Amino acid sequence: MRSQQKQPQLGAVARPLTFERGRGVYAVETTAGLAHVVVQVGDDGRRVERLQRVLRALADAQIPIFLIKLHPESISFALESDLVTRAEDCLHGLAGECGARGDLSLVTITATSMRDLNDVMVTIAESLQQAGARLYGIGDSHNTVQCLVETAWAAAAVTELTAAFGLEAQG
Amino acid sequence: MRVLVQKFGGTSLDSAEHRALAAGKVISARDAGYAPVVVVSAIGRRGAPYATDTLVDELRRIDPATAPSPREMDMMMACGEIISTAVMAATLQTLGYPAIALSGGQAGIITDGEYGNARILSIHPHSIRKAIERGQIPVVCGFQGVTSVTEESEHGSITTLGRGGSDTTASALGAALEAVGVEIYTDVDGVKTADPDMVPTARTLDVCTYEEVAEIAHQGAKVVHPRAAEIAMDYGIPLWVKSTFSDLPGTRICGDEQVHEEVRRRVTGVTHTGKLAFIHLEIVNEAHKPFVEQEVYRLMARADINILLVTFGPTGFSFAVDRTDYPVARDLLDGMVVPVGIDGGPNTSGAFYIFKLSDGQDLAYRNQRPLLKPLEPLFDIVDVPGAAFENGTIVSVIASRHRQVPGVMAAIFETLTQAGIPIHQVADSDMSISCLVPENEASRAVRLLHDRFALGE
Repeated sequence: MRSQQKQPQLGAVARPLTFERGRGVYAVETTAGLAHVVVQVGDDGRRVERLQRVLRALADAQIPIFLIKLHPESISFALESDLVTRAEDCLHGLAGECGARGDLSLVTITATSMRDLNDVMVTIAESLQQAGARLYGIGDSHNTVQCLVETAWAAAAVTELTAAFGLEAQG
Repeated sequence: MRVLVQKFGGTSLDSAEHRALAAGKVISARDAGYAPVVVVSAIGRRGAPYATDTLVDELRRIDPATAPSPREMDMMMACGEIISTAVMAATLQTLGYPAIALSGGQAGIITDGEYGNARILSIHPHSIRKAIERGQIPVVCGFQGVTSVTEESEHGSITTLGRGGSDTTASALGAALEAVGVEIYTDVDGVKTADPDMVPTARTLDVCTYEEVAEIAHQGAKVVHPRAAEIAMDYGIPLWVKSTFSDLPGTRICGDEQVHEEVRRRVTGVTHTGKLAFIHLEIVNEAHKPFVEQEVYRLMARADINILLVTFGPTGFSFAVDRTDYPVARDLLDGMVVPVGIDGGPNTSGAFYIFKLSDGQDLAYRNQRPLLKPLEPLFDIVDVPGAAFENGTIVSVIASRHRQVPGVMAAIFETLTQAGIPIHQVADSDMSISCLVPENEASRAVRLLHDRFALGE
């Protein structure tokens, strides 16, 4: 099974490593070949049960998912594009409507102590808007913010983010 | 010359008995043929006479109304480690082993000029090497360095490294000296699968990758500071976490390529961290949503409020803030007005969005909303209802490459929800899955997940 990390990289930029890693954002990279799926689960008393069924079905079908987010009436996640059909098949009838959007790329912004950077989300949001890249999903951790955007706009997004964070293209 | 860096925390030095145990570790390393380089933290914790917090309190007491200058604060804080090095060096000397105490500057640790949170730029370890050549055991102050000569900063101004500073010093010295390893001595016998106070069956891990330990540390466990793990990872220095007070082997921390495949894809532990408030804002206009979101982020940034667990959904967006920041965030959001697309003038698709928090928390909204009334014939005036869940905490499952291993999220969700623990939101990265749960359920959630993934076995 191909992993998300092994997908072709559209590009990567990074700040040269010094003795201790620089504070702030030091790399932006993209991973192509992804899709975003939204499954309706309703907001009634059976919401949790439907969420359990969705996650269990995907697990039993050996479909890796990420950028998982819970919404009042739905669950959304990302997966590799070539797994979308299998995912739709295994989810059929388990919950509500299932919608998928393909041709997406994951733009990953990496920083040291991301959660100490108060303005990082503003910069990312402005850069994506400047690039015309609509955001389909987002995930954040202590060292990354990952944004799911249309592949057609991923390169422009990287250009804007690179400029905004003062990174230089790697040789 | 096989250099071994050994770092001892404050609790390893806070009594003659503990110092003797720490010295014993150093002497054992030397007798085994290593050239030990010792890094020490300040002695004891808050309340102890030379603990960093005690020294800081002393300076703050001079004028409680005025914060001490960062430069002088760093000079004060650095004293704790200077005392420790002298005490540790004297302890080793008393036991018949030549030792030399070195401040961060004397050890050649050069930092930038950010007082209180300096970053190590370079290390010139000539004095350490010379001491080793002379047969001495260098005892170096953790947590501190000095600035280099630039036009902006004076030469040799004392700086401190901020959180995790002594671990960072140890790791950085390990890299600079091309050490065979860095041993972090503490009062626990290694990296645990969970907080043993919460999970009595928590186990000590034999081996851990740099990424795992950095993730564990970021997600709440106080083992090795992530900065130290990152330096060790970047320079390929093996790390060990061991107990000063036992002879147990501890936890080896190494590169991904040095561990078995099953270690690369496994659940390592369960952690918990943070006291959070989770804010949900409803806005349905897809075209306007990014602009409104941006204004919210900008507002939070201006107020120095970090946001996390950011979520975009079809009917709104959500994020979490530290609970101590929530009152400020709430007051800033309530009644906030965001104009979107009004440049084209009246009767365009522009709108004014006004934030309305839950009843009882919407005083500013109730004052602001009538002021927008005159604009209603010209523009849409749209309420953005907001609600918050104020008593959340994050429980995280550390799972290497779980994105390649389907089922981890399903197992977490089933375990918690079947036990009646609500999950308000989730966040996942390459190394972990985090769930926002009620704070009063944190212990139960950690124990259930620890059992579910059989981490005590």
